[in-house]
Amino acid sequence: MNESGLVNRAWRVFATGFSFTCFGLGAVLLGFTVWPLLRLSSADRRVASARVQRAVSVSMRVFVWLMKSLGLLTYEVRGREKLAARGQFVVANHPTLIDVVFLVSFMPEVDCIVKQALWRNVFLRWPVYWAGYISNATGEGLIAACAAALAEGRSLMVFPEGTRTRPGEPLAFQRGAAQIALAAGRDLRPVTITCDPITLHKGNAWWRVPPRRPHWVIAVGDPFPSAGFLAAGEPQPLAARHLTQALVRWFDVSITQQLGKMRTETRPGGVNARDDSL
Amino acid sequence: MGPVQSTQEIFEQLRGVLHELFEIDPAQVTLDAHLYNDLEIDSIDTIDLILRLKELTGRKIQPDQFRHVRTVGDAVNAIHALIQNKPAAA
Repeated sequence: MNESGLVNRAWRVFATGFSFTCFGLGAVLLGFTVWPLLRLSSADRRVASARVQRAVSVSMRVFVWLMKSLGLLTYEVRGREKLAARGQFVVANHPTLIDVVFLVSFMPEVDCIVKQALWRNVFLRWPVYWAGYISNATGEGLIAACAAALAEGRSLMVFPEGTRTRPGEPLAFQRGAAQIALAAGRDLRPVTITCDPITLHKGNAWWRVPPRRPHWVIAVGDPFPSAGFLAAGEPQPLAARHLTQALVRWFDVSITQQLGKMRTETRPGGVNARDDSL
Repeated sequence: MGPVQSTQEIFEQLRGVLHELFEIDPAQVTLDAHLYNDLEIDSIDTIDLILRLKELTGRKIQPDQFRHVRTVGDAVNAIHALIQNKPAAA
C-alpha cells in the first residue's frame, strides 16, 4: 500500500466518523425541532407523517451528498423514475448500513418497516418515530397494516432479509414481504443494491474502510408479479413460501450479475483487469 | 377430528396439515421438532395454522392456548386438551 493510499484511507476513516456524527446529531436536532413541528402541522395523522417523510427524505439526500462530497463513496441509480409512482411496494436486498438512506432519499414519501431494535436506537428512534414508520414487532397486525397502507396509495419499503446480508452466506428472506404482497394483491418492485468493495456490512465496524472508495449501484427493476402464486389455488402460507423462493432466486441472479458487471467495469484496465486485493 | 382421538392420531393429522399448509416434509415432523427453529414456522404461519386447526376441530381456539407451544409435541398436547374439553361457550 503506497503513501497516498494510506493517507486516503485515513481520511476516509476520519470522514466516515464525521459523517456519522453529523447524521446522529442531525437526527437528534431535527427530532426535537423540525420533525415534531411538521408532525403537529396537521390534525390528519397521514398528512402530517407524509410531511415528516418528505423532510426525512430531504435530510437523507443531504447526508448522501455529504458522504459523496467527502470522497467516501460514489453511486449510481438505474431506473430511478420507476420509483416515482405512488402506492409502490418496494423490496430490496440489504448489503450495507446505508441502503435505506439511499432509498429514502430517492422516495419522498414511503412507509418503511423498521426492525424493533432501531426504535431503541438513541439516534434512529427520532426519524423512525416522527415519520410514522412501521415496527416489525407489531405481530399479527403487521401484514394487515401494510396491506392497508398500500391500499391507501402509500408506498411501502421492506428489506425481506430483516437485517443486513451476511457476506458469504446464502441470501435468506423472511416471508413477510411475500405475505404483504399476497394480502394486498400487489406486485413487488424489486431493487437490487450492490456495493463494491463491500463496506458497512453486517459485522463490520464503520471505521474498517475498504481499500478503495466504494461504489454503490442501486438498480430499480421491473414489477415482480405476485398474482400467479395465489391463482394456483394454494393456501396463502404455501403461496408465500413459493413467492419468497422465487424472489430469492431472482435477487440471487440479479445481485450476481450486477456485482460481476461492477467488478469488470469499474476496474482500471476493464474486463481483463485483476484485483489482487480480494 | 372426532372427539375420541388419541394423541397419535392428532400427531398424524398435524403432520398432514403441516404438509398441506407449509409443504413441510412429514419425516421432519417429530414430537420434539421445534416449530420455529426446525420447521421454520413463523408467527404469521402460526395464525394460519391455528385457523386450519379451528376448522378441523370445530373448536374455538384462543391464541393464548398456543402461546406456550414450542414443539410439535406441545402442539399435539394443546390440541388434545382442546378436544377433551367441552366446546367453549360461544
